[in-house]
Amino acid sequence: MSKSVIEEFPEIPIRKKDVLTTEPTASWRVERPEINLDVCNRCWLCVDYCPDGVISKTDEGPVIDYDYCKGCGVCAAECPTKAITMVLERW
Amino acid sequence: MGKVELISGNRAAAIGAKLSRVQVISAYPITPQTPIVEYLAEFIAKGELDAEYIHAEGEHSAIAAAVAASIGGARAFTATCSQGFAYGFECIAQAPGYRVPLVMAIANRTTGWYWSLQPDYSDIMPGRDLGFLITFCESVQEILDSIIQMYKITEHEKVQLPGMVSFEGFYLSHGTEAADIPDQAEVDDFLPPRKILPHVVDPELQPTEPFYLIEPWQHTIYRHIFERTLDRAKGIVEEVTKEYAEKFGRDVYGLVEEYKTDGADVALVSMGCLTTAARRAVDAMRSEGKRVGLIKVRFYRPFPSEKIREIVEREGIKALGVVDRAISHGAGMGPLGQDVASALYSLKSRPNLIDFVCGMGGDDVNVDDFRRALNRLLEIADKEGVKELEFIEHPMKPERMLKTFENKLIAPGYNSCPGCGAILAFRHAAEILGKDTVFWYPPHCLGVANPQTAAPILLANFAAGAAYGRGLYRAYKIKGRKTRVVVFAGDGGTVDIGLQSLSSAAEAGESIFFICYDNEAYMNTGIQRSGSTPLSAWTTTTPVGPRWRGKREERKDMLEIMIAHRIPYIAFASPAFMRDMRGKIEKGAKVIDNREGLAYLHIFAPCPTGWRSDSNTTIQLARLAVQTGVWPLVEVDHGVFRLTYKPKELRPVEEYLKLQGRFAHLTAEEISSIQKIVRERYQKLLEMDGKKLF
Repeated sequence: MSKSVIEEFPEIPIRKKDVLTTEPTASWRVERPEINLDVCNRCWLCVDYCPDGVISKTDEGPVIDYDYCKGCGVCAAECPTKAITMVLERW
Repeated sequence: MGKVELISGNRAAAIGAKLSRVQVISAYPITPQTPIVEYLAEFIAKGELDAEYIHAEGEHSAIAAAVAASIGGARAFTATCSQGFAYGFECIAQAPGYRVPLVMAIANRTTGWYWSLQPDYSDIMPGRDLGFLITFCESVQEILDSIIQMYKITEHEKVQLPGMVSFEGFYLSHGTEAADIPDQAEVDDFLPPRKILPHVVDPELQPTEPFYLIEPWQHTIYRHIFERTLDRAKGIVEEVTKEYAEKFGRDVYGLVEEYKTDGADVALVSMGCLTTAARRAVDAMRSEGKRVGLIKVRFYRPFPSEKIREIVEREGIKALGVVDRAISHGAGMGPLGQDVASALYSLKSRPNLIDFVCGMGGDDVNVDDFRRALNRLLEIADKEGVKELEFIEHPMKPERMLKTFENKLIAPGYNSCPGCGAILAFRHAAEILGKDTVFWYPPHCLGVANPQTAAPILLANFAAGAAYGRGLYRAYKIKGRKTRVVVFAGDGGTVDIGLQSLSSAAEAGESIFFICYDNEAYMNTGIQRSGSTPLSAWTTTTPVGPRWRGKREERKDMLEIMIAHRIPYIAFASPAFMRDMRGKIEKGAKVIDNREGLAYLHIFAPCPTGWRSDSNTTIQLARLAVQTGVWPLVEVDHGVFRLTYKPKELRPVEEYLKLQGRFAHLTAEEISSIQKIVRERYQKLLEMDGKKLF
């Protein structure tokens, strides 16, 4: 069967949505948030409030994906137990 | 004597307008033109320019207002490009008929199709046939000079047609060069105030009316008059630009500029900023002894056919290569190529012609490209009857470090600023609404931030977010799909330019979910005032200076507007109150799943960049806005109004305002007047609480 004009020119941008591909944004960061899991009360507010969605809920507690964290500091500002501190990033 | 300053092309256009003493400026932001109208707002706020400034709600209105100001006899100015040019097209087309000497700056950017913020001439070319004078600029200096020259030409007694000053976005609009800025007194001497002719509508001055309805037999006659006027304008262009060049010491003037055409066998014909690279290619090849040259078309309308013929005949040019930054699809040529070919038609011995289509969407065309083009021309110089189309392409595979995510509804890695409230709202919407959803984006920050979601995201035109939503919803309806159609718009795409299509879709009961994230200005184009910008807020188009103190008006009340539409679900949310916000997203989804009509959700979205606030205060601001009563959390569920959060006592608005640089200029008095407005509105909402409104 002959190809349609859409399949004939694969340069035409059509994105497959089963796998999502993105570019890390770690280099945007000036400060990095660090979580003290001994102080964390597992309220998960940081997971909800992170604009970039880089904090995930795990059995061990919240985990930050440092490939994508932009260092905005919202998590540290909102943490009710002050378990998160912003530390100057030394690239 | 003027002074030399390092300025961008956009600033040059703004300074050109200021020196021309424009009286009415009509503005709407669009990249890359926006800084022009920002600079003009700043000039007015500082008291450097005495002009009326119109903050329009879209380009259609911005251009209409500028045309009308010119009909009323004012020297009017506006600027646009790309989608804005297309959206305002019918108003642009209106201008020549009214014989208005309006000047528009066009910072070229590709139109639609595949999105880019970068330039080609696909925006301005559809406007070439309307009766405008159009000039293309190569340098920042030329932009400044052309604005002033264009007023003198368009206002000339023998012209009285509108003009466009066109220059490539970013390359020229944001590129910075040294420019000689003339003195106001010298410009005043060159450009006297606009002379009022009999077609100006000013009943206190003269009882006349340029009538708009003419008989069919008159149309062809009138078109003939326009054509004769533009043809005659060629001499006026030569005369006025030469006068300017002599007065201000410039070496660039006239309809065309010849560059090393002496004894040339072949030559490029170019416009705009690509000309500079073409010059360097000509220089290099001349130094190798090759007989090549360049013709720069400065004025594209009226088209300098006679000049081009004269140069070709005088030098005996055997082949011309047209540098075409646009294509007329299906015609086998670009618009400049067509015009050059048409100009050459009457020659007894016509040169060969290659139309080089290049530089689309901002693709850079470099000196080597032009060397290759000139070599191609030398190859075919002695052949007969060549007329070809060639594309200068630069295929490349960008190397980027990428990561992949499986089984995620939204992946991290978007280009939103740190602490962005908009992407936070969208992230939760994408997670709640799931895969069987299609999002429409009218242009806003997230269109550029480009989040990757499992659900498809499509780009709508700015004024038509809800209309795209309707059409897709109807397609799914007739195909029996349950897919949710969600329009995710910014405040401009909702309360300003998007309001008409939103209103229509709401009234028609389309079961689409319209979510507005509100960061209270046009943040994607860089902090310009919208109808949702609060009273007194600084933005780049409501600057703070001796004459202005931020936005002078209160924001539009979208709650009242949506209540007036009697739709099944209306809600206002804040991401600080996460459970409330997520619940409202779920409720809206249920309303459209049940095919009950349009659901509307308006989410508060702090913007550290535009609000001049720290990135870590996003949630704090979103919370304070609710606690102070600035942003009450409400919903109207099937007509029943409810405050979904009622603080026992409102906190003072100052707590909210003081965290933001955009309110840093406020006096105690101004803060107390904002306090009064906020309290009164909150009181009104308290009285409505629990009531059935419709």
